[in-house]
Amino acid sequence: MTPDNTQLKNAIEVRNLDFFYGKFKGLKGINLNIAENKVTAFIGPSGCGKSTLLRTFNRMYDLYPGQRAEGQINLYGENILDPGRDLNLLRSKVGMIFQKPTPFPMSIYDNIAFGVKLYESLNKADMDERIEWALNKAALWNEVKDKLNQSGLSLSGGQQQRLCIARGVAVKPSVLLLDEPTSALDPISTGKVEELVHELKSDYTVAIVTHNMQQAARVSDFTAFMYLGELIEFNDTKQIFLKPDRKETEDYITGRFG
Amino acid sequence: MPEKHLSSQFEADLNSINTHMMAMGGLVESQVANAMKSFSTMDIEMAIQVIAKEKEVNDFEIAIDKECSEILAQRQPTAKDLRLVLAIAKAISNLERVGDEADHIASRVKKIIEVNAPYQINVAEIRIAGQMALGLLRRSLDAFARMDSKAAALIVADDIEIDNEFRGFVRKLNSYMSEDPRIISTALEILFIAKAVERIGDHAKNISEFVIYVDKGTDVRHLPHDLLIKEANK
Repeated sequence: MTPDNTQLKNAIEVRNLDFFYGKFKGLKGINLNIAENKVTAFIGPSGCGKSTLLRTFNRMYDLYPGQRAEGQINLYGENILDPGRDLNLLRSKVGMIFQKPTPFPMSIYDNIAFGVKLYESLNKADMDERIEWALNKAALWNEVKDKLNQSGLSLSGGQQQRLCIARGVAVKPSVLLLDEPTSALDPISTGKVEELVHELKSDYTVAIVTHNMQQAARVSDFTAFMYLGELIEFNDTKQIFLKPDRKETEDYITGRFG
Repeated sequence: MPEKHLSSQFEADLNSINTHMMAMGGLVESQVANAMKSFSTMDIEMAIQVIAKEKEVNDFEIAIDKECSEILAQRQPTAKDLRLVLAIAKAISNLERVGDEADHIASRVKKIIEVNAPYQINVAEIRIAGQMALGLLRRSLDAFARMDSKAAALIVADDIEIDNEFRGFVRKLNSYMSEDPRIISTALEILFIAKAVERIGDHAKNISEFVIYVDKGTDVRHLPHDLLIKEANK
């Protein structure tokens, strides 16, 4: 049930993780490793806990009262659930990109500079360089290099999402969390983002939640199937899509799920 | 959890390629049966009939191949569904070759009759091997229809017997030819028929191996037989 990734270095190790929305237990005893510089996909029906799990990796849930996590999530050996953690610092290491593109109502340049300024003070030349670097990483530079002062909101949906990815990578995180990053995009933009995910993994560890199983099959190295708050099967992506071990996984990916 | 697909159209498409493959299998089976009958009774009419029907087999292969590519394009099947579509696409190419073998047998029979060749060779082994090959083909299609890995594993074992019959016959044909060189040209025709029968057994074996692939998810081609049995009974 677990992939043969023992030779790989883990970026994140989840141990006996439970998650509560008030009294409702949204995650039940999750254990899994997220390998460094690999793409790990989370699939499962709506409400299975895949986004909830993703949101624990940078404690995004802390913004909401009544939500809490128990257990351990070790990011390079340090438990991020420890009460004393600096959440801003954590979120600079573990960036997140959401379903809907969320550019700030400011220029393309400032959209990216905004995050960087929170953590570093760069001079103009270094900042320019960082912004070009981030836009290049997000495969957006060539499309926006002549209009960096235009509003981020003037871009197309697919470009906006890549702008958000550029904003995410600009602070040089080690892990990128993508929560259904292409569900609001057309197939061409989706293709570009998927291609980007593929390129990003040489520098980053990527965890992606997706409703689109073919997307998980295309972009990920490892796939976790979740159901009713439990991790049902976690394996090599090729194994999951050709010969899953568990009947629940087979039923879900073949579309036989009731 | 239900066994059926949420998409009834997908379900219908999968059932349809399955049904068409079985229909093709039925046609190929009757081609082999008739080719062997034309050989046993030296019936030229029947041989001509088999040759004429070969095109139907080819048409089936093309039609089912098209259905398989459409399912792949439209549905992106995964897991067992994917293995099923892949297995059908490969199994029908085996069936098409069985059809070719039936056609070869019928063509050789026609040739032997047309040249009115001397024919005093005892071909009991070929008749027996022919019945065995036909039996294996029928059982392999049965195992495919029911996705029965255990039955499939037995077929793989039985194919070895056909191979033994074939080798025995080749040895016998050798001594016939050295005794009476006048029969060499006929003997060669008959050798091709024997080889065709042996190949039919091989194709039935291949189809059976696909059953285990779909059912158990393991590619058992070229596995030693004891390991194959183990996989089939997992």
